[in-house]
Amino acid sequence: MTAQSDWVKWDAKEISYEIHSPTHHDYTIDKSSFGLRILSYARNAYYYFISDVDGDNCPFFPSCSAFFIQSVKESNIFRASLMFTDRFIRDMNLFKNNNRYSLHATKKYIDPINNYLLEEKRIILTTGEFIE
Amino acid sequence: MNNYFSNHFLNSINFYQTKVLAIILFLLPFSTILFSQTMNIDENYFSPKNRLAFGNFLFIQEDYLRAIEEYKNYLMYIDNDTVRFKYAESFYRIGKYNEAADNFKSIFYGSLLSDEAKLAFYKASFFNGSYNSFRDICKMEGYQSEKYAKDINRLFLISHLMDESILPDTNHFLKAFPDSTKNKVRELYMMKKFPSKKNPTTAMLLSMFIPGAGKIYTGEISDGITALLTTGVLAYLAANNFKHEHNFRGWLFAGLAVFSYAGTVYGSYASAQIYNAGVRLNFDNEVKLYFEKRNYLLPKINFLKTND
Amino acid sequence: MIKKIVLFTLFLFNVQVNAQNQISIQYEYAHNLMKTRQYFDAITEFKRTLFFDIDKQYSYSANYSIGECYKAGAMLDNAIQYFSIAQYNARTDDEKISAQLEIIKTNILRRTTERAHQILNEIEKISSINKDSVNYWRGWAFIFNDEWKEAANSFAKINPNHELKKLAEQVDMDKVSVTFAKVISYILPGSGQIYSGSILPGLISLGWNLLSGYWTVSAFNESRVFDGSVLLGLIWLRFYRGNIQNAGDFAVQKNNEISNKALRYLQHEYKGNRP
Repeated sequence: MTAQSDWVKWDAKEISYEIHSPTHHDYTIDKSSFGLRILSYARNAYYYFISDVDGDNCPFFPSCSAFFIQSVKESNIFRASLMFTDRFIRDMNLFKNNNRYSLHATKKYIDPINNYLLEEKRIILTTGEFIE
Repeated sequence: MNNYFSNHFLNSINFYQTKVLAIILFLLPFSTILFSQTMNIDENYFSPKNRLAFGNFLFIQEDYLRAIEEYKNYLMYIDNDTVRFKYAESFYRIGKYNEAADNFKSIFYGSLLSDEAKLAFYKASFFNGSYNSFRDICKMEGYQSEKYAKDINRLFLISHLMDESILPDTNHFLKAFPDSTKNKVRELYMMKKFPSKKNPTTAMLLSMFIPGAGKIYTGEISDGITALLTTGVLAYLAANNFKHEHNFRGWLFAGLAVFSYAGTVYGSYASAQIYNAGVRLNFDNEVKLYFEKRNYLLPKINFLKTND
Repeated sequence: MIKKIVLFTLFLFNVQVNAQNQISIQYEYAHNLMKTRQYFDAITEFKRTLFFDIDKQYSYSANYSIGECYKAGAMLDNAIQYFSIAQYNARTDDEKISAQLEIIKTNILRRTTERAHQILNEIEKISSINKDSVNYWRGWAFIFNDEWKEAANSFAKINPNHELKKLAEQVDMDKVSVTFAKVISYILPGSGQIYSGSILPGLISLGWNLLSGYWTVSAFNESRVFDGSVLLGLIWLRFYRGNIQNAGDFAVQKNNEISNKALRYLQHEYKGNRP
């Protein structure tokens, strides 16, 4: 019998009875700059009026719209557009497979923006399936 | 204990209570000894002897954090190299490499376990995160162990496969490894020296000439073909609309085609980088797996083995 | 830490020279740590009790308590492991049953309810078992598997007016049908969402379907076949398909909200026995 769980001291913890349903979209407004704030409102409007009602189309995690907002935050609007276009074309590829992308817990392909900032040190590669 | 006392108690308890508690705490170690003398020693569960027995039991159960507490209490009364070693080893086994290294260091001099402690110290330092500082430690005077010099040197060489440092000369490197591992180690060494990487600039230039060719070059064949088709179709639609004098649509598709082209060029560069990161990750995993399976070619320490 | 030092000091000064007493004092010491919610340290002391307990007086109770400590720390796998050891060391049927009930409760919390049901079925065959208690925990197992109707049936076997029977029945009645929501959305886009209580998203969905349908039809009417096909494939079908999928999602979400409301009540307000 191993005691690996006790290799770090722990405290009392209550287990929630509730069912955790994954929320599809993160509606948080980014207040770090005026441009990002406007962009967040636009994204939320897109989520509410289009994305929520046109079904689950984006196979990636984060979704294309979240990817775009994150790219703008990490770089600039011009580069973010290039990153988004590249992502969109990869989205259209019908032969995506698990060799290239790991699967997220939501069964979507993990494709973080870090891999497209052209900084090799920041690339995040995950192996295996179902990463939280 | 006095330190702890002054920090936490003085704020909350008045002076008189403080004095009483101080006396109690002062007498605490004596009481243990007194009890051990006045009654059968085996019946005081907190005597050093029983602490050690319980600690060893926890150690075998792999309950290392609890074992550490017992060893620590034991060592407050009795100094014993084997227990010190197990104390340090417990830290090592729960991944607290810093504490492990520090505690192994305390058995370096004047102990029968000096050589084993040095070996374990290097092992802990190896896993501590920075291979660079590990190599610095390897070069330090006074830490050398004659008995395990070869093993530690091997660990020093392996560390070069783990990060981006300059690889030592091939012959010098391979000489340190036993014949049974030489072929595989040579293969790993060559993979490290000449990794099969893709050049991001080449990928980008290829996609500039033929959209998507750079992605095909990095092995993303379906992505490359999709990019070529998308850019092609958009360009065709633009041309076709201009031809039929649908200028608005023409410009719209032309704009999209330009974006598609530029995005593909950008994505090809990224794709090569991702490919290279993948090569590195696979290599790192292979090296780790190979040496982990063989315990980094280090000898097992006998007196710990009996407890395993 | 202060508590620990005081307890430890008191313990040391109260030590009787009697070995019989010594082990019971050690057990009490561990128990006090558990009572003051210092579960990690309590486990250490229970383990110490077990280690020095040559007569194996505490093989049941100390292992049982270790299980309780792990459960309080949400380490359910470990908890089950120790409850099982306690069950193995039980000296009476009562002890065995209470260890088994703890294993059942922990399985319920861990949401491995199938295992909980399996053990419940096994212990139901024991003649001395209280059948009400079996049905009670069976009800909880159903609740944690989101099967409220079955839960209501289980509680009803204890008492037709059982508080939890009424609650489970109410939850079951309040829930919407996911299949129905999807089916009506096939016929009228947006209606499934409206049925699940999401009126605005339902109307938006209906709006998109009407608009894209109109665009597509008028494109074909004007013989713009390419435009029509693109509109049909990329817009109308997307919103139509999305509407059905979303009607299902909204219904599931609504049902989860209903379940969670009841679960929150059970966790924080319900006065009876909880897993």
